[in-house]
Amino acid sequence: MVTEPREVFVGLQARVARPGTSLLERLREVQRERGEIGSADLTRLAEELGLPVAAVTATASFYADFAEGRRGRRHVRVCEGTSCFASTGGRHIRDLEQVLGVARGTCAADGSVSVQAVRCLGYCYDSPAVLDGDQAGTGPTLGGLLDKPPGSGTGSAASVRVPPPPIPYRSLADPPVVLAGLLGTEGEWQVWPAVVTGGAPERVHREVEASGLRGRGGAGFPTANKWAMAAAEPGPRYVVANGDEGDPGSYCDRLLMEQDPHRILEGLALAAFATGAHRGLVLVRSEYPAAVARMCTAVTEARAAGHLGRRIHGSGFDFDVAVVEGAGSYVAGEETALMHTVSGLRGDARPRPPYPTSSGFLGRPTVLHNVETLAAIPWVVRHGGAAYARLGHPDEPGTKLVCLSQLFRRPGVYEVEYGVPLRYLVEDLGGGLRDGHTLRSVQVGGPLGGFLTPDQLDLPLLTGPLAEAGVPLGHASLIAFDTAMPAAAILRHEWAFGAAESCGACTPCRVGTRRGLELAERIGGTQLNGASASGPGRPGRAAELLTRQEPLLEVLDTASLCAFGRGVACAVRNVTRVYSDELARSSP
Amino acid sequence: MIRLTVDDRPVEVPEATSVLAAARAAGTGLPGLCFDERISPQGSCRVCLVSVDGGPPVTSCTLPAREGMVVRTDDPKAAGAARLALELLVSEQPPRALQIPADRSELVRACQHFGITGSQFHGSGHARGVDHSHPYVKLDRDLCIACGRCVRMCAEVQGTFALSLAGRGFDTVVVAGTGERWLSSPCVGCGGCVDSCPTGALAEPGLLDPAPIDRTVATTCGYCGVGCALRVHVRAERVAAITPVHGAPVNRGHACVKGRFAHAFTRSRDRLTTPLVRTAGRGSPLRAATWEEALDVVAAGLTAVRDRYGGDAIGVVSSARATNEENYLAQKFARTVLGTNNIDNCSRLCHSPSAAGLTASFGMAGGTNPFDDLDRADCILVAGANPTEAHPVVGARIKQRVLDGARLVVVDPRRIDLVDVADVHVRARPGTNVAVFNGIARALLDNGHVDRTFVRDRVSGFAELAELLRDYPLDRVARLAGVDAAVLQQAALLYGGASRPAIVYGLGITEHTHGTDGVRTLANLAILTGSVGTPDGCGVLTLRGQNNVQGASDMGALPDLLPGYQPVTDGGVRARFSRAWGVDVPERPGLRILDMFDAATTGRLHALYVIGEDIAQTDPDTRRVQAALAACDLVVCHDLFLSRTAEHADVVLPAVSFLEKDGTFVNFERRVQRVHPALAPPGQARTDFDILHLVARRMGADLGCPTPADAMAECATLTPTFAGISHERLDRDGPLHWPCRGPDQPGEARLHLDRFATRDGRAALAARHYLPPGEQPDRSFPFVLVTGRRLAHYNSGSMSRRTPNLDLFPREVLDVHPDDAARLGLADGDLVEVTSRRARVTFPVSLTDTVAPGQVFTTFAFPDRPTNALTSDCADTTTGCPEYKVTAVALRPG
Repeated sequence: MVTEPREVFVGLQARVARPGTSLLERLREVQRERGEIGSADLTRLAEELGLPVAAVTATASFYADFAEGRRGRRHVRVCEGTSCFASTGGRHIRDLEQVLGVARGTCAADGSVSVQAVRCLGYCYDSPAVLDGDQAGTGPTLGGLLDKPPGSGTGSAASVRVPPPPIPYRSLADPPVVLAGLLGTEGEWQVWPAVVTGGAPERVHREVEASGLRGRGGAGFPTANKWAMAAAEPGPRYVVANGDEGDPGSYCDRLLMEQDPHRILEGLALAAFATGAHRGLVLVRSEYPAAVARMCTAVTEARAAGHLGRRIHGSGFDFDVAVVEGAGSYVAGEETALMHTVSGLRGDARPRPPYPTSSGFLGRPTVLHNVETLAAIPWVVRHGGAAYARLGHPDEPGTKLVCLSQLFRRPGVYEVEYGVPLRYLVEDLGGGLRDGHTLRSVQVGGPLGGFLTPDQLDLPLLTGPLAEAGVPLGHASLIAFDTAMPAAAILRHEWAFGAAESCGACTPCRVGTRRGLELAERIGGTQLNGASASGPGRPGRAAELLTRQEPLLEVLDTASLCAFGRGVACAVRNVTRVYSDELARSSP
Repeated sequence: MIRLTVDDRPVEVPEATSVLAAARAAGTGLPGLCFDERISPQGSCRVCLVSVDGGPPVTSCTLPAREGMVVRTDDPKAAGAARLALELLVSEQPPRALQIPADRSELVRACQHFGITGSQFHGSGHARGVDHSHPYVKLDRDLCIACGRCVRMCAEVQGTFALSLAGRGFDTVVVAGTGERWLSSPCVGCGGCVDSCPTGALAEPGLLDPAPIDRTVATTCGYCGVGCALRVHVRAERVAAITPVHGAPVNRGHACVKGRFAHAFTRSRDRLTTPLVRTAGRGSPLRAATWEEALDVVAAGLTAVRDRYGGDAIGVVSSARATNEENYLAQKFARTVLGTNNIDNCSRLCHSPSAAGLTASFGMAGGTNPFDDLDRADCILVAGANPTEAHPVVGARIKQRVLDGARLVVVDPRRIDLVDVADVHVRARPGTNVAVFNGIARALLDNGHVDRTFVRDRVSGFAELAELLRDYPLDRVARLAGVDAAVLQQAALLYGGASRPAIVYGLGITEHTHGTDGVRTLANLAILTGSVGTPDGCGVLTLRGQNNVQGASDMGALPDLLPGYQPVTDGGVRARFSRAWGVDVPERPGLRILDMFDAATTGRLHALYVIGEDIAQTDPDTRRVQAALAACDLVVCHDLFLSRTAEHADVVLPAVSFLEKDGTFVNFERRVQRVHPALAPPGQARTDFDILHLVARRMGADLGCPTPADAMAECATLTPTFAGISHERLDRDGPLHWPCRGPDQPGEARLHLDRFATRDGRAALAARHYLPPGEQPDRSFPFVLVTGRRLAHYNSGSMSRRTPNLDLFPREVLDVHPDDAARLGLADGDLVEVTSRRARVTFPVSLTDTVAPGQVFTTFAFPDRPTNALTSDCADTTTGCPEYKVTAVALRPG
């Protein structure tokens, strides 16, 4: 009897040495050429890549980019991420639908234009946001897109007139680490040539170990431990950069990938060298087209400069990198799911163990790091682990990029040292909310994170104390909610995110998030649908519905397969706690 | 063993057991809706949560049991969450899901376990519809709970990868292929998904009917020679469903589209239910007759021929589909009542070269190792066999092993399904096996992969072989076989470099003019590497085409051998049988099947008694067979249907199928397994066993052994290799491998561990030169026709064509390579006239690159495409096995 979970398509790909790494790209090409992916295309791609057609079908139906069906010649992606939601309550989506004459998730009958709602585009500093083709537009008019009269937007040319402002960033760390390249205090590829020719992987490992660097993607696993685990397994091994910055509210990874991609590649190369991997993959989400292009260019540049390839800089070490563009899935950022995505498989999670460090890409030992983690590694190797460890807090050394959302007076990416109070971020750096807005709550750490009230902001930016307050730090984005936002709408937003992004691998999340969304829609009732809906609700009904939410949260929290389902429960509990009075007063 | 406690109950389980299985072993009845012992756990339904050592809830299916664990299925937190998960599942199901009989729905049983009759959760369900396009696999998408069992059965057990979960979140659902019609997906209809589905989302026609099953009978499959253990579920005296026996030693809970689903033929309206006789001469029609009348005609006719020309003027063709007991009785009937050794069985047409070749090489006429040994093999050489279609459960097991890391070498002219996962494909030209195996043997020598100690101590003929192999450098073999020398070298390196290599072969090796040489030169590879007759090696496995090919020969339905391969020419043996039977066994070996035909046309044979075999459809060179039938004074046959042979017969006796029989079959690995009747015969049909008794009695003889059990007992007393086998023991202890030399002996699954059964105790290497096949293409007949089997059909098709398998493969086609088709101006589906040196037959073409250019492929499963009119009378020089695999033909657009 087999007692360890197996991934049947991964096993097949590994045995016949046919990873489907190019499948997402091939599906995208078909979609671009023909607007949709038909069953003949699935069969043809399966034959072309030597994959079972069912695996190709599964992939094409899993990722939001493909699953929504027909695409227009002009494809508009509108952000329904949390910052955009906090800024407009979803009004920008309705306005866009009107201007384009096309409802979200559909395509105009003549095939001219289609609209897809995505979570999120990473312009949370200037919400709301849209991608018209690959061109971004932000702000109240979505870069001018909403200035047009209704129904006039079906042309094929992109109509965004005003490009978004650049991402504001600032480092409060002394010295800057992750933003050092952007601030011009560190160059690119400064340590790699010497390290790779020096032939001492254990030195890289030692410095990273001494630095106390932990994963910045949310899980906070010690980087050096991950390397040791993978290195202890027989090769071949792989390293993977997670550029699937799925948390709405977080856009620091986009900043790094678009403006300092070589730092990420150098970090990946150092991780590969330390663990004896010869192939690296970078997963970049499709919602970040500029980041995809920039990462691809960076790989070509790095190869041309001799930093990647065979016998790098005359050493005996080979290492090369491929960039994989995602296709619209939050769970794909979960480590077991991500291994599927970079193999062209559906991005569902699986039980752990085994962990990717023993069974990852193609079932081989794989080291997976968030791009922010990787961007710190060149600095750590150059300046030594001890120097890094002096930054931050004794419990959690180093620096963290924190993203502040549009409702703040001064939104942007801030590199801060661990341990600073949240109030410092919200008030000193963010400058509080913009004029006319009053802070009601702050969502910390993305859709699976938590909500804090203004009086809780003295908590430090540290995993432990925040967890004690019921708030996972996650990727450390802060989204401000003002007093105008109805509590029931926030509750519905959280459940909707869970239901839309659940991969379907386990019952609690697959069915439970749908039941939660249905419940939240009933609690929202008149508030969400406007006064013209069902009229005044029955007093006490909302409280009763909230009671019925409890067993859902219990099963999600206790019985979910991966952190996503537990995270949804946690986030909903946070909303329910912070907004308990308002929710109970809702009139369903 | 591991000891742990579950809800305070101590339980002991083997290593590598999940906590869920342990909890069930402890009698907790813990549900696990995504769990099936045949596949890996998934941990997705979350209904099997338990606490271990007081910890938080964990999925018991994904947790290996460990010594001393304290497991609680009644932990409030775990059981509470599990119950909630189940209630969530119930909340998405339509009401009909909970109305399915509990014995067919694990979901219903899980609800019973938790005492759930509804759900506290309410909300939308699904409206995804049904797909009933496939004749056997019926999908009701709204019952799907996305547990993935079907996907893992299809991938891990069947190795087909036809299924996946598609969509995401709440909309996750199983799809086959592109998600359109199930019938047009790559599904091979093995039924694994249906067998595992916990909710009825995947179901089969017979079990969709909620009416209860009347009885369930365990038996052995009557299709190919794998010998799958099946459970036959009977309702209203018809087969409602057939399911594989979980935990059965051979098939391990798996089956194929034939054994599992293709049973409708048993109640086909054209089943013969009365005897038929043709009293007014050959031209007259067959008419229904009473048994009395028919037996009179048969007895009178046989007696007349015997008394006038002698027993040797009668030929008996026994059947590899009949039971051992029936074959035993048939040869006893021929030898004691008719007085002739003219008895043969259809293994002559498939595996007689195996019997001859393996006996010459190893001293015994069976495969050397059990099927289970594939579990240990690190390299599998599949030669001249297409197991995923012809022996699907073996094919599936090979795929499992390969996916688990075993290397796979395929030697076959066609790009068979297994090639997709193979490490090397030696695509040798048909008829060049001996050259290929000699080439590989030479490479084993050159690569230092010969086990010198083994060869010194346990092998004969090495020097002679080494000398012969001088003529087989790889570049020469590559030219002969039309393959790349590097490919041959890679095959040799993989096989030679393996520590536990296995050989699996089929009719692509035997059905040649030099078929016995093919078997022997293939066996050489196992001998040279010391991988046969040793505890490590996995030996040589022969895939048998029909359910009892092995047993028919084991039972002595052979012209030169008595039961247990005891030579009829051995006076001592003969004396022993004569004494037991009370009649002198004829001294001279009898005629083989194809020789019987020649004897008939030349006036030496006057009566043919054919049990089950449709010689006019399945034997080569049909014209010759028809001439022989026409020349006989009397032709008698037993059959289920009016076969092509029956159309030429004077008397046709209605026989019964394996589902209506009592006895035993021997599978391809020499495992003797019980066959139990699930159905009563239709009308007046009788078993071959009964018919033989009736005919003998009518001829004034008593064959003794009135029951099948008696026949097996009598055989055991006369045959040392079967001495320990009896129905009673099989019923009590389960299947037994032969040799089984005494009631206290366990049966020998792995042969030749101490010494080979040859005269000198050594494995005999064969130095055989490559000789060209009997038929060769030339300018007039430029193509080579290869015949074989397709997944949905079986041999003559007499059974499978009378089932919904016809929906899966409705008509015979000729597989043609697209390049050849383009040259001939043929499009897919066009008719093509195929001409051999003997006949002309028209086929629709199917364009596929599974055949190499210059080669075409078809089967003889459809009588309207009489393929064997084309095949030649060339036959194995040693055994007379026909050269079905090489026929020179010309193609002309029809």
